[in-house]
Amino acid sequence: MGATRGPAETPSAEQNAFLERAMTEYGKATYNFAYRLTGNETDARDLTQEAFIRVFRAWRSFVPGTSFLSWIYRIVTNLHRDELRRRKGRFQEEIPEDNAPQEFGGQRPLAVTPIEDYVDRQLGEPLSRALAALSPEQRQVVVLADVEEYSYQEIAEIAGCSIGTVRSRLHRARALLRRLVERAQQQQR
Amino acid sequence: MNHLTTAQLSDFVHGELSPANDALAHAHLADCGVCRAEYDAEIALGEALRAAAASEELEFPSIVKAVVWERIREMPPSPMARLSAWLRPLVAVPVAAALLVGVWFASPYAPHGAHPTVDAAYYLEAHAAESGDSLLAEPAGATMLETSMEDGSGAVPATLAEAVDAVR
Repeated sequence: MGATRGPAETPSAEQNAFLERAMTEYGKATYNFAYRLTGNETDARDLTQEAFIRVFRAWRSFVPGTSFLSWIYRIVTNLHRDELRRRKGRFQEEIPEDNAPQEFGGQRPLAVTPIEDYVDRQLGEPLSRALAALSPEQRQVVVLADVEEYSYQEIAEIAGCSIGTVRSRLHRARALLRRLVERAQQQQR
Repeated sequence: MNHLTTAQLSDFVHGELSPANDALAHAHLADCGVCRAEYDAEIALGEALRAAAASEELEFPSIVKAVVWERIREMPPSPMARLSAWLRPLVAVPVAAALLVGVWFASPYAPHGAHPTVDAAYYLEAHAAESGDSLLAEPAGATMLETSMEDGSGAVPATLAEAVDAVR
């Protein structure tokens, strides 16, 4: 593909410069975030393209001085959710309810498992494969909380839900991940 | 104190407990081996996720950037731009017309004031002055005079005054 350049007819050079800078500085982070949400590069590319188109269109709604990453993560999240809804309509994907009773969480602690051993053995395991077991909403929260290390408040703003929902999704997702680890270890024994 | 729940441990790991509960959890973990092991497992899970993410970090594909610009170039104009383009002739035509009218009135060809009226008396006087005839003098050869003022001598009076004199 040739060198990138601005469109022939756009409202302003400032808008072009905004998008160019956004892609240069945040393209990689956005693409990786999209990849962790979708689990594959093709969907991640589509999602990232669409997100930057939205950035171009809505560039005036970005508030200077706030986090651009949070802003574009919110855009990516919304686009991903819309896409999942479209696909859900086609494939009726089974997504666990967030308010379902938790299997873990309170009655007694999980059995202690040597996660460190698992990590040492599975470090080369793609994250997308581990996260694939989670629902899209859970995967999103885990990525934002544990990979991007956002606070619950920030995640709630990005995901467009309450802090309670963030907490619930995160607890459920982490419990599921730990259960998968435990199962994997039992199979290896 | 009872064992910490997985939810409490997760909140603790993410720094999301209130200061009071955070202090309680911290104190409990110092004394409880079971919860300490759970805490270590939660920490390890987070580290595993971050390590795995770092191990498969992808570069931003240049094609994404190129496609974004390509799509923007092909993007139809916004509704405001379309409206502006549509309104342009509606605005331009009346403005051009107004300018033309203004230029016309500013030009020396434009009529100034009321339309001139013909003052018949003035016209006759001026004409008479130029021809040296009386106000009622008519041009020689006028058909009406030729027919009406013939005196039978065959001479045709040149003017109405001569005609009058001849009659006398």
